[in-house]
Amino acid sequence: MILSHFMALLVFALFVSTVFALITKNEPREQFRYGVFVFLSFLAVAFVVGWIMYPLPL
Amino acid sequence: MEQANSHVQSTATSEKKNMAATIGICAGGWLVPGLAHILIGRWIRGVIFAACVLLMFVLGLAMHGKLYDLEFDEPLHVFAFIANIGTGLPYWIAEKLNLGIGTMTWPSYDYGTTYLWVCGLLNYLIVLDAFDIAQGRKP
Repeated sequence: MILSHFMALLVFALFVSTVFALITKNEPREQFRYGVFVFLSFLAVAFVVGWIMYPLPL
Repeated sequence: MEQANSHVQSTATSEKKNMAATIGICAGGWLVPGLAHILIGRWIRGVIFAACVLLMFVLGLAMHGKLYDLEFDEPLHVFAFIANIGTGLPYWIAEKLNLGIGTMTWPSYDYGTTYLWVCGLLNYLIVLDAFDIAQGRKP
């Protein structure tokens, strides 16, 4: 099985944000909001770090 | 008012279990991801946790990730081993079936290995969450 970088990131973020939301919050509404926040944070950080690394000769 | 508050508090926090039962529940949760929450009556959470951990584990294996053994000649691998055994029984089953050998030339090898580490680490967090609930520290 080969996932693209972005799909691997999406699936990873989905699972981890789900577990984090259920562990850290108690109310379903809070869990949903926090889960979405963590999920989007994963994506945002990946994009930002990707663009920061872009000009570097790595 | 005070009576009403105490009633709310008693319904919000779950019944505290003794330490032996808590440790047994946590051991079950470590061996079978999600089982600890199912045993303490949080079966929806338990099923979601089980799905997340097991799907990550299966995806990690499908992406040709590597499961680490305890190797004394490679001391730093012990951290990867600790992360991997967090998954519990699925780790031992996969080892017995010779899965998780890891194909370094496979394009998604790194992702697969990371999935396998992280699902084990998530299961440790899940077990700690179950411990807190069983001890009445968390509603």
